[in-house]
Amino acid sequence: MKATEALICLKFLAAVYAASDAPRPRGVGPEYGSDEPGTSACAHLSSYSPQTPDAANATLALPGFYCKNKGHVPSYVPFTNVNDGVCDYESCCDGSEEWDGVGGIKCEDRCKEIGKEWRKQDEVRQRSQTNAAKKRKELVAEASKIKIGIQDRLQSLTTEIEGSELKVKQLETELADVERREKGKVVKPAGGKGGKMGVLIGLARDRTEELREHLVRVRDERDSSRSRLQELESVLSTFKEEYNPNFNDEGVKRAVRAWEDYEAVARDKGSEPKAALDRDLEELTKTDKENGLDWDEYEAEEETDTDVLYAFENYLPPSLRGWLDHKLRDLRLMLIEGGILAASTDSGAESKHVTEARKRLKTAEKELDGHHKDLKKHNEDLADDFGPDDVFRALKGTCVSTDSGEYTYELCFLERTTQKPKKGGGHTNMGNFVRMERMTVDEDLPPNGKGLGSGERIVMKHENGQHCWNGPNRQTTVILGCAEENEIWKIMEEEKCIYRMEVGSPAVCEGVNGGGGKGAGGKDEL
Amino acid sequence: MYYFDGSSRRWTSLLTLFCILCLLITPAVSVKRENFKTCDQSGFCKRNRAYADTALSESRWQAPYALDPSTVKFDKGVLTGTVLKKIINTNDNVRLPLKITFHESGTARVTIDEERRQKGDIELRHGSKARKERYNEAEKWAIVGGTTVSAGAALNSDAEKGTTRIMYGPGSKFEAVIRHEPYGIEFKREGETQIKFNDRGLMNVEHWRAKVDKPAEEQKEGDEAVVAESDKEAAEDESTWWDEKFGGNTDSKPKGPEAVALDISFPGYQNVYGAAEHTGPLSLKETRGGDDKYTDPYRLYNSDVFEYEMDSPMTLYGSIPFMQAQKKNSNVGVFWLNAAETWIDITKSTTSANPLSLGIGSEVTTQTHWISEAGLLDVFVFLGPTPQDVIGAYGELTGYSQLPQQFSIAYHQCRWNYVTDEDVKDVDRKFDKHRIPYDVIWLDIEYTDGKKYFTWDPMTFGDPIGMQKQLDDHERKLVAIIDPHIKNEGGYHVVDELKSKDLAIKNKDGNIYEGWCWPGSSHWVDCFSPKARDWWKGLFRYDKFKGTGKNSFIWNDMNEPSVFNGPETTSPKDNLHYGDWEHRDLHNINGMTFVNATYEALLARDKDEDKHPVRPFVLTRSFYSGSQRLGAMWTGDNQAAWPHLEASIPMILSMGISGYPFAGADVGGFFGNPSKELLARWYQAGAFYPFMRGHAHIDTRRREPYLAGEPYTQIIAQAIRLRYSLLPAWYTAFHEASTTGAPIVRPNYYVHPGDEKGFGIDDQFYLGSYGLLAKPVTREGQEGQDMYLADKEKYYDYFDYWMYEGPTTVTVAAPLDTIPFLMRGGHIIPRRDRPRRSSGLMKFDPLTLVVVIGNSGDAEGTLYLDDGESFNYKEGAYIHRRFSYQGATSTLTSEDLAALPGKKTNEYLKQMEKVRVEKVIVVGAPQTWAGKTEVEISEEGGKSSSGTKKVPLEFHGQEGGKAAWAVVRDPGVQIGSGWKIAF
Repeated sequence: MKATEALICLKFLAAVYAASDAPRPRGVGPEYGSDEPGTSACAHLSSYSPQTPDAANATLALPGFYCKNKGHVPSYVPFTNVNDGVCDYESCCDGSEEWDGVGGIKCEDRCKEIGKEWRKQDEVRQRSQTNAAKKRKELVAEASKIKIGIQDRLQSLTTEIEGSELKVKQLETELADVERREKGKVVKPAGGKGGKMGVLIGLARDRTEELREHLVRVRDERDSSRSRLQELESVLSTFKEEYNPNFNDEGVKRAVRAWEDYEAVARDKGSEPKAALDRDLEELTKTDKENGLDWDEYEAEEETDTDVLYAFENYLPPSLRGWLDHKLRDLRLMLIEGGILAASTDSGAESKHVTEARKRLKTAEKELDGHHKDLKKHNEDLADDFGPDDVFRALKGTCVSTDSGEYTYELCFLERTTQKPKKGGGHTNMGNFVRMERMTVDEDLPPNGKGLGSGERIVMKHENGQHCWNGPNRQTTVILGCAEENEIWKIMEEEKCIYRMEVGSPAVCEGVNGGGGKGAGGKDEL
Repeated sequence: MYYFDGSSRRWTSLLTLFCILCLLITPAVSVKRENFKTCDQSGFCKRNRAYADTALSESRWQAPYALDPSTVKFDKGVLTGTVLKKIINTNDNVRLPLKITFHESGTARVTIDEERRQKGDIELRHGSKARKERYNEAEKWAIVGGTTVSAGAALNSDAEKGTTRIMYGPGSKFEAVIRHEPYGIEFKREGETQIKFNDRGLMNVEHWRAKVDKPAEEQKEGDEAVVAESDKEAAEDESTWWDEKFGGNTDSKPKGPEAVALDISFPGYQNVYGAAEHTGPLSLKETRGGDDKYTDPYRLYNSDVFEYEMDSPMTLYGSIPFMQAQKKNSNVGVFWLNAAETWIDITKSTTSANPLSLGIGSEVTTQTHWISEAGLLDVFVFLGPTPQDVIGAYGELTGYSQLPQQFSIAYHQCRWNYVTDEDVKDVDRKFDKHRIPYDVIWLDIEYTDGKKYFTWDPMTFGDPIGMQKQLDDHERKLVAIIDPHIKNEGGYHVVDELKSKDLAIKNKDGNIYEGWCWPGSSHWVDCFSPKARDWWKGLFRYDKFKGTGKNSFIWNDMNEPSVFNGPETTSPKDNLHYGDWEHRDLHNINGMTFVNATYEALLARDKDEDKHPVRPFVLTRSFYSGSQRLGAMWTGDNQAAWPHLEASIPMILSMGISGYPFAGADVGGFFGNPSKELLARWYQAGAFYPFMRGHAHIDTRRREPYLAGEPYTQIIAQAIRLRYSLLPAWYTAFHEASTTGAPIVRPNYYVHPGDEKGFGIDDQFYLGSYGLLAKPVTREGQEGQDMYLADKEKYYDYFDYWMYEGPTTVTVAAPLDTIPFLMRGGHIIPRRDRPRRSSGLMKFDPLTLVVVIGNSGDAEGTLYLDDGESFNYKEGAYIHRRFSYQGATSTLTSEDLAALPGKKTNEYLKQMEKVRVEKVIVVGAPQTWAGKTEVEISEEGGKSSSGTKKVPLEFHGQEGGKAAWAVVRDPGVQIGSGWKIAF
């Protein structure tokens, strides 16, 4: 198919040959074994051209006009560009594709300087690529170090967990023991919380604490609602400023009017938060201690005379007291355990010993819980996608930024993208990192090599950024190309609030050493 | 193209999102009817419709207008006289000067003015500073030629009593019979009446009257008493005479009621066309009488109609008050020269023809009722008989379409907005990378610094010159938008000058008018003022509008004018223009004056161009009769929806037969996101818009052709490349339009005026004079297309040479990658098949000639070529050839059509010397060529003059339904010289 169709056009070219005595260079055609001269006569043999019987379903034998580019790298120029009156020095530095001089064009051979410049740049590119590869190695090493660190931490965590578990168990036993002992005590040592007043105080304290917590929570909720309201109001006032009355949308006009009414009412009411009240609130939410109210003090004081009277042990000489105490305690315990005597329940709360034992247990449990959480986090972290060789582990949280138009754009690797107005004002979240993907790109590489080039590239998707008026939540697709430094090359708003960021990073210089640079001349495209 | 991992998931979610969005958007996408007046809300329209109802329902009705025979004078082709309007219930008459001019071209013009206003013998209310006359300067803007008064027109002394008869026109075949009382005119061609004025007595010239403030109650009773005694129906409803309110705006109407109206009938004519611009069918619908008819008249009041609706007589951005009527083998027309708000009622009545002519059935008469708010009653009458005669005569008057820059008929890539200079350069590179040609990239309003025209946003367009340089490397152009609203902001040089030089539109009190548009508070330049135009011209000089280069051109939008907070989104009617004319008088011309100023500006932007002006390119949204001289128009803000694609074709055809053929619709649809199928189909249709531009709203996804993905990108690329390969045919068609006024894409009735069955067809059309018949698919999922072949002739599929024979309707396969496109036998089509990056780079490419042999065995076609940018063609720098194939002798010849050589002829021919014919394809080649292997070629002049040469011929026999075809590869003949190929 290919051969026959090309032959039709070849036949024609032969005729051209015969008919014209213009000097024509010959492209090389070793691939095809024929004299394929370079004209654009067959440029229409393309699936992109209208399909007519004299050019149906045809493909070309050669990818384009062959430029020898002596002094530089040979390349094919698309047939569409042959003899169109424009010197395509980018791909044909010897100017040979304009051999017919249409419209008086003369394309001098510039291969010497272009080649020289290219080689110079190529050297820079190569060097940069070598550096980039080195940097990537460092990044991988760094990532690996971080990973090992995590693994180490995991290991030590396991040990720590074992230790903590043991400790918890011990403390549980200890607590049980203390409790058991405390139960046997007839009279609580000083400092315990005894008596009705003690109960009341305990309850009051708990209640106050509870109220305080609720107050704090309600205040937080209020603050967040207030900030949401402010945000909403600013959205609406922007809306009022910027809406286009030309669109003559009754709904929009109604909304604007309603907003104006609302605004007027709000202004009258003076909805500004009262600072004084807020300060009071602030005071209220401080802990009781900070407010000069020490519950313990009151609790510790409380011990009724009767209690003291009954604690007759205290009036005995210490030796006798010790003995008696011991005996009595044993007896009491015996009675309690025998179900004859009720355990002393009058205490408003536990004894200090029990509380402290419990506290110790709680702390130990908390510690254990923390260890478990850490373990989970680190395990998940290890399972996460950090790209090939785990390389982005080393970049997580690293931020790069660039200026474009009236904004500065920032990318924090594996975290988010942000738009910051240069004139000041709020930052806009353009999306939070969600995942890595791969994408096939096909871009021309600029001479300095700072571009995506062609092939499969790593892509970081950022979604669910700030919502757009009349649009979606902001999203950013970050496409990574190999570069010596982390840098944002280009930022584009591809459609409303959907951004595309082209970013260079040594992290993606995996196996590109020497590969990307070659394509720079763009010689083999068609 | 991007290929995503897990792309299907992504697309599914996108699709879902899209569907949800569609659901959300669909109900909201519709015109805000309440923002625009109905006839009932427009006082003068309501009054005149009521007047018509009275006149038509009352048998006792007598039109109160009479031509005073004693005043009639006829001298050198001009008849003058006075029409007297009888005032009801009085013995008073209002004197209305009448002037009928008969032009050499066969066009007649009937003008009626009002004496008191003419003399300024009236009082204006509210202390208005406005002019007192009826607006009489519309012709200054619309008319450029064809007004030579006929020497041959003569009074016919045979006139019946009570009439005056004038014979005129070519061979004195035309006749105007003026009835004195009631006043009316019948226009006849060869004795047969074609057009009647005031036949139904609906003529109405609202004379000036003072406002009499009577106590409301008393007046009512009093009126009733009077009415009871006198003619009840004649009682006038005064409620809409004075100040009128609409949508919170009050029109002070200092001149009171001043409408003009006239009924114009076309006896025997069933179809009328024109009255652009509207979204309905090409053949205009009836506007009264229920059922399938519109309820409001067609309205002409240039407006920024947001999300306009389909199949509607509502007004749009531009107005051409020119109408043609078509019956079998006859076409006539009228041009209503009035720039004020205008409404046209259309009804059709079936009457049995002359009862004496047995055997002839009933006949349909189309009756029209033209109503304008102010100005003169001024009508031109064209008596045909062919559509081209009428369109040509109209073109002679209002000017032919500009011979455009070559690039401007190629593909334009636009978007609101390409956001930075880098963005523009990136799009430019991507077109090249994907081998899709394009010529022009556009910048919408965001390129400016805060919507201040003639500035660049320094943040986003820091290097406009560098950007234009990159475009220029491949002969590409930049079009930037400049609108008439000037931002009212201190320190902005343009507004400062506008104010200090006093060049803006004024409000009714004579102070500078302030309204809202894109920049917020704005003023409007008044291009009716010569001083304003001079100033405007200066703003475009390269050294003044810094950042523009020679490959930059201009887009004029919002020039209705669009005023966001104005009544009906436009200027208040009592605003004042240069010469103290009220805006109401000249509203529909306003847009044209602005484009005119820009056109003048672009002729020369530096000293070099002062000496050698270049052809301007300006795109406009608002237009009037005459705008065709200044550039292209587009159909405004359409939607990415199938019905809008479908409607674009009749709309563009309507522009073509209205003398403004350089027209297009936004390819892809402006609002919303088109499906890929719709986008592909829209490019296939767009390849046949005389003005082909892809455009998209700022909230839509990017949709440059290379983003669509396969197979869509390929389908779109094929459509664009088809356009490019046919550019020689398109350019020749544009040349024809610029010299004869002929449409570029032509409806069936224009090409086959004898074929009544085709009079209503408006979804297929012919390209130029090439017999190229296209019917783009405009419905979703459609895979076949019925095409109507009007005549007994062979038609061949453009892409596979499948043969059809008319007259019939055929079904042409139309899968997504195929455009239903046929070649009518008997034509020769010039092409340039080599795909290039832009049309500028095709300038020296060889041509392909496609000879399409029809039933007669012959074929013919023309080619016009020039440098595509300068005015050198006026000095002979062009090539104009006719190619003819004679079946009898089997020869193809090229003959010169150029007028006498001019100063620059030789220079141009020398430049084009190397441009040759590289291929001749003969479709429908005779079977007798089967054994033929070569053809004989002889060429005039040069080395081959002495002898002939032989070149191989390749013959392909008929295959199934596909025609036989032959090809001669590289006959080597020059495009600019005479030659002969003998087969």
